[in-house]
Amino acid sequence: MNNHIGALAFSTFRETVRDRIFYLVAVFGFVMLASTAVLSPLNIGAQGKIMSDVGLAAMVVFGLLVAVFVGSAMVRKELDKGTILTILAKPVGRREYLWGKFLGLNLTLVSMLAVMGVLFLAMLFMAPGTFSLRFLYAFYLTFLELMLLNAVVVFFSTCVSPVLAAVFTLGVFAVGHLSESIRDFGQMQGTAVQRTMSEVIYYLVPNLEVFNVRAAVVHGDPVTASHLLMATLYGVAWTGLLLLLAGAIFDRKELRG
Amino acid sequence: MMDLRKSFRTGFLKKRVRGIEGVSFTVPRGTVFGLLGHNGAGKTTTMNCILDLVHPDGGEVRIMGVDHRRCESRTRVGYLPERPYFFEHLSGRELLNFYADLLGLDRHLRPARIDEVLARTGMTAFANRRLRKFSKGMLQRIGLAQTLLGDPDVLIMDEPMSGLDPMGRRDVRELLLELKGQGKTIILSSHIVPDVEQIADSVGIIREGRMVATHSVDEFSDGCSYEVHLGSLGHEAAGQTLPPWARAQLAAAAGHRQSVTADDVAQLQELLAVCHHEHIPVQSVDTRRTGLEDIFMAAHDQAPVEVQK
Repeated sequence: MNNHIGALAFSTFRETVRDRIFYLVAVFGFVMLASTAVLSPLNIGAQGKIMSDVGLAAMVVFGLLVAVFVGSAMVRKELDKGTILTILAKPVGRREYLWGKFLGLNLTLVSMLAVMGVLFLAMLFMAPGTFSLRFLYAFYLTFLELMLLNAVVVFFSTCVSPVLAAVFTLGVFAVGHLSESIRDFGQMQGTAVQRTMSEVIYYLVPNLEVFNVRAAVVHGDPVTASHLLMATLYGVAWTGLLLLLAGAIFDRKELRG
Repeated sequence: MMDLRKSFRTGFLKKRVRGIEGVSFTVPRGTVFGLLGHNGAGKTTTMNCILDLVHPDGGEVRIMGVDHRRCESRTRVGYLPERPYFFEHLSGRELLNFYADLLGLDRHLRPARIDEVLARTGMTAFANRRLRKFSKGMLQRIGLAQTLLGDPDVLIMDEPMSGLDPMGRRDVRELLLELKGQGKTIILSSHIVPDVEQIADSVGIIREGRMVATHSVDEFSDGCSYEVHLGSLGHEAAGQTLPPWARAQLAAAAGHRQSVTADDVAQLQELLAVCHHEHIPVQSVDTRRTGLEDIFMAAHDQAPVEVQK
């Protein structure tokens, strides 16, 4: 990896860790323990499935919170405080800076997912008949989804305020999970305008349901290698496109101290 | 730097506001150039343009012959912004390690180099303290340390002495003089004239975004003016014998004062000769050194904003 990008990524990772972001992981552990306590009176078979559902969904939600709230303010904070001036006054390209920030946040997300994943599997290990390494598929695709959302937040943070960047990213998350349904609904029920609109939304917003294999993993349905490959290519392509656009916007940005 | 222009769009209607207009200057290698101007005159915008942190609307900037838009132009440059601010979760040493990564400093030579710049900026004792616990002066010093880290040939410093106590100002002044002695090229901005006067070889005075004057320090360092206090002229005819420039000054004063200012030795000699010949008493002669401060104030007081060379 380029030395500049590596230094920026590691610095970003260290900043988020020292900002005590990992307290969220402790909250995740608490959610998992609490869900076990609440769900224990239920049927033995259903308990494991519900716990898996809750755990996997919680991983996405906590990861999303970190990506949105850390990522949206990350670039703006450095612009406002002027930290960015001393960095870009060195022989560091603006795109290198963005990539460093993006990879640093990804490093944080991977570390969080790893800790949450270990906690999650440890909890499942204690519920008989639930533990399976197939959950690793869900972890992997959750990471891809969060990586894409991280690129979305970096893109928005180069052109709008942190609050708007957070709101837009949450919007992309919501619409991204509903875009297939919106398109299907538009095709079946809508007028010509609604059909076109639903089609535009489908192609304009990344389809995040591609990364959702949580139900399949929990219920033991197959997750094929071709799906994993397709989801990987889809996630990487969208991420690359968003970072290219973010780089083009950031190149033109005025960095006033 | 040739004919640099920059405007900004501000407000809801994105109205265009002039930042700098037609700023040109050249800083020969190994010299110190002081950029003087009031707050908001355009000093920081000029520096940000040099480093391509803001993109100029027009003009040309070259750093050691390399176009400033190219990343390589900043390889041998150290920059200290006004009010430097850094990652506060890092310690001083960690911060310098981070910048050493960006500069690509050799990992084996790095610890010694970091110790050296910490010592030069008086920050050795605070090297392992987190930046969030630093005072304003300490931030300025660690900012100086990161500026010097890569042993740059060109130093660009925006108000390097702001936020420092008198001891700190003296230390920075001495450090800058030491760097000047080592042959570094330095561009520094300030609105405090004596700070620049003691260090710079040449100065540019910027006002409302335009370079209104550029001077070599040698031009004014030996300059003096003389205020001659005259006694009673006795009769009106005696006044008429004074040189025209002296008569004009007395007429402008309209009897409120009986003194005239000679701009140089020749004028002084001319005036004293007339006084001797016409028996006009001379009560005293005060020598006033014409310093950079006078030139700075004169440049700011003049009505039209014209570019002078």
